[in-house]
Amino acid sequence: MAANEEHAVSVGAEAKAANAGHGADGPVGPMETFKYDDAIVRKFMGVTVLWALVAFLVGLIVALELIVPVATTYEVAGFRPFAFLAPLSFLVDTKWLTFGRLRPLHTNAAIFAFAGNAIFAAIYYSTQRLCKARMWSDKLSNLHFWGWQLIIVLAALSLPLGLTQGKEYAELIWPIDLLIALVWAGVFGTNYFMTLRVRRERHMYVALWFYAATIITVAMLHVFNSLALPASLTRSYPVYAGVQDAMIQWWYGHNAVAFFLTTPFLGLMYYFMPKAAGRPVYSYRLSIIHFWSLIFIYIWAGPHHLHYTALPAWASTLGMLFSVMLWMPSWGGGINGLLTLRGAWHKLTDDPILKFFVVGVTFYMMSTFEGPMLSIKSVNALSHYTDWTIAHVHAGALGWNGFLAFGMIYWLLPRLYQTPLFSKKLAEWHFWLATLGILLYIIPIYFGGITQGLMWRAFDQTGTLQYPDFVETVMRLMPFYGIRVIGGTLYFLGTILLAYNLVRTWMKRPKVYDEPVYSAPRLLPFADPAAPAFKTRLPDNIGLGKKGDVLVQHITSVWWHRAWEARPAKLAILSFLAVATASALELIPTFLIRSNVPTIASVQPYTPLELGGRDVYISEGCYNCHSQMIRPIWAETKRYGDYSKPGEFVYDRPFQWGSRRLGPDLAREGGLRSNIWHVLHFENPRQTSPQSIMPAYPHLLKDEIVWEEIDRSVLTHAMLGVPYPKEVRDGLSTQLAQTQAKAIADDIVAAGGPAGLENKQVVALIAYLQRLGTDINKPAPAAPAAATPVASTAP
Amino acid sequence: MSTTNQTTTNRSTMAADEIEIPLGPDGKPIDPLTDHEYDGIREYDNPTPGWWWLIFVITIAFSAFYVVFWHASAYGWSIEESWASAQRRDFIRVFGKVGTLEPTEATILESQNNEQFMTIARATFIGNCAACHASDGGGQVGPNLCDDNFKSVRSVEDIYKAITEGAAAGSMPAWNTRLSQNQRVILAAYVATLRGTTPASPKAPEGDVIPPFPKTPPAGATKPEQQRADAR
Repeated sequence: MAANEEHAVSVGAEAKAANAGHGADGPVGPMETFKYDDAIVRKFMGVTVLWALVAFLVGLIVALELIVPVATTYEVAGFRPFAFLAPLSFLVDTKWLTFGRLRPLHTNAAIFAFAGNAIFAAIYYSTQRLCKARMWSDKLSNLHFWGWQLIIVLAALSLPLGLTQGKEYAELIWPIDLLIALVWAGVFGTNYFMTLRVRRERHMYVALWFYAATIITVAMLHVFNSLALPASLTRSYPVYAGVQDAMIQWWYGHNAVAFFLTTPFLGLMYYFMPKAAGRPVYSYRLSIIHFWSLIFIYIWAGPHHLHYTALPAWASTLGMLFSVMLWMPSWGGGINGLLTLRGAWHKLTDDPILKFFVVGVTFYMMSTFEGPMLSIKSVNALSHYTDWTIAHVHAGALGWNGFLAFGMIYWLLPRLYQTPLFSKKLAEWHFWLATLGILLYIIPIYFGGITQGLMWRAFDQTGTLQYPDFVETVMRLMPFYGIRVIGGTLYFLGTILLAYNLVRTWMKRPKVYDEPVYSAPRLLPFADPAAPAFKTRLPDNIGLGKKGDVLVQHITSVWWHRAWEARPAKLAILSFLAVATASALELIPTFLIRSNVPTIASVQPYTPLELGGRDVYISEGCYNCHSQMIRPIWAETKRYGDYSKPGEFVYDRPFQWGSRRLGPDLAREGGLRSNIWHVLHFENPRQTSPQSIMPAYPHLLKDEIVWEEIDRSVLTHAMLGVPYPKEVRDGLSTQLAQTQAKAIADDIVAAGGPAGLENKQVVALIAYLQRLGTDINKPAPAAPAAATPVASTAP
Repeated sequence: MSTTNQTTTNRSTMAADEIEIPLGPDGKPIDPLTDHEYDGIREYDNPTPGWWWLIFVITIAFSAFYVVFWHASAYGWSIEESWASAQRRDFIRVFGKVGTLEPTEATILESQNNEQFMTIARATFIGNCAACHASDGGGQVGPNLCDDNFKSVRSVEDIYKAITEGAAAGSMPAWNTRLSQNQRVILAAYVATLRGTTPASPKAPEGDVIPPFPKTPPAGATKPEQQRADAR
């Protein structure tokens, strides 16, 4: 190392000489001068830190919500050590702040506000420099900035109000979805690709490929997953139902991880890591193979979120295998990042920026090993619906996304504010606090997840569930959840240090920012370089394989890729083809092959009141804690009843299978408990299950059903092809709903419950819950439908 | 670090902008460089590591093998088949020697002698009934099962009937589609044993006082061959 250091020379003159000697850069025109737009980067960087604070704070709140009901009543020797948390009980009791409404706010803020603005800062800073060009349009840059912040504010307002589409990471209602499509593709995409067009650097660096793939793919995912028919300004129903909705949702959901949290951050890494380390990137050829294999393989992996569900087996297999094959393409980026530090590792000791980058990339490599492992079906059988997934995503989000963003911000601060960083020491403190915070977060949650998974499947010697009471498996998590809050707090404190450092550095900024003027020649159109004339390396006396040998030389010399790098449109189209072809191959069969979803004749559309109840279920975000999917696993059918069949979900728009069980599965909740039980349980779950951590929903007993909304829901579903009889569509739905509501309300009164619930939301929700999973045991209607009965009797 | 000259870009704060090429003892770069340069960033022309290719190819080969084995060969089985065989194994383990249990007073009472049946029935009770009747049977939304008052039960057979068909106009749901007949028989037996126990917080009595249930027959009183078969 020391020897290298002595021999190290600045690249300066040598590099320019090398470039000058290279003729492939093509013809150039007159010199042009330009300035970079750093004001827009400063804006994006500032809001990145602001939204990071919000996202992490909301995360802390939802983490606290899970322990407050239990912790405040926890007693040791007559003493309540956590009684000081009691003032936080309002979090659990306020309808706008319940876990079901705030958890989507946390995930959306972390992904789209924090990580989103971080990648915009990275892209706006590095693209200009890599293209030797200012962003194509300052107007579009600013429209992008303000448009995106508007989206975030609308999200922060609408989610606590219960306005949601009920699909994970795609919760925002349709008008906001339209705005996202407009700002992302129309404004940001146009600005980015036009900047590539007017660039003054002939070839595009690998970071730019990743940015391009990000913009194209996220646009495609967002548009196709959000296709829905509005029922009102704030409600809509997806054009897909049941199994198909699940498939498209996780195609989207998984690739939000791939193309929002991975590819743009890899681009970020490729620019900022060599800059911060002061070393060349390890391997150009590795960057080519891992870029293409990553984007092509990643897009298939979504179904691994749906193992053992009612998804067809072939789709599940595709999801698993492409995840396994994804291991090396993912690691390619990690290797290229870490090996870039060769000869610079000693810099880590006193450079917090490199510390953030190195630990961030290490978390990336851990997560991208763990991801393929979790997607193996038999591993997934244990991990799915448990906190293992939560630990996994936080290792990725806090470790990889967070640390890369923080490293980048510390690197940018002195450059953008044109003054030294206020305090390197605070940055060091931030690093150590955040690292400890991540460990205290993920390690207990790993333990908790695996513990709960094992408890769910534990049998005693008689073949009976060892923990038949679900809440027992939740209570076991409480100590782990407590430690998580400490970890999250440390991570949050670290971010406060960053915010303080940012503000203090900003306060030292010059009165007027220096805007250096750069110059570079304009690029003139040029022809693709001719293919090199390779000769076979095989001796003359070998007759076969000579053409193959030449082909291998062509491929491995990557001259053809070098040519693509000078053609942004070509590269963008090829990237689009890679992700679109893979998507089509996986999605089209799901929609076209009828045997994927065998119909069950007795499964009928929801009644109008049940549909209204379903809207309440979606609005309250019940799917954040309750799944509606019983897997064909013995322990699971023992606990919840017969496993779910694809045909049971044909009227579910959106599907509500969930991804995490903080409460029991509800797929066969119908008829399980009496109506009065549900009323008491919603009023305060502790009335019926003393240890429950579920929020109380007293407002459901007060808020009125809006009958016209139910009417519109029925009409919208009918337009989407749900077979409601004509008289129902023509206005009978309100009357039907009111009759059913009256019957349930009367039953509640007869059982000694409160009167006057016949027009309250709780009745609609109970109607929906009492319907769940019951159709399969009903006799088929008289119509001579060719049913495929797949029901098996309960054990 | 100069902070005085702030009108121009402060180069001194940006030392890391300069990319250095580490040189080997021979004075040449440690690895061959490409001639690419982007905003000062350089790239080595290193090959992709061999172990990277090896693992990548192995994962692809594994995938090919996996698809053929599980989806195109006679050796694979489906998740549903695996579940069905678990169901068969479980039934044989618990009820294999017994066959079908009929919901008669004699069978229900005899089941109370079977320790294994009672363990299973207790788990069934906690998983399905405790939400309304409390885990010790003391009652909550549903009536107390430990006292002598009952609303729709007069005999142990009535317990089976209430479980099977539901009671109290649907407040007590019907369990015939969720629990098998054998499960309902032993559950009725278990519920009958709760009577006379002392729950933690008993609900006030509902319904009428009914005569005591017949006592559990002594083990092996009837059908001794069956009891032997159940013994583990």
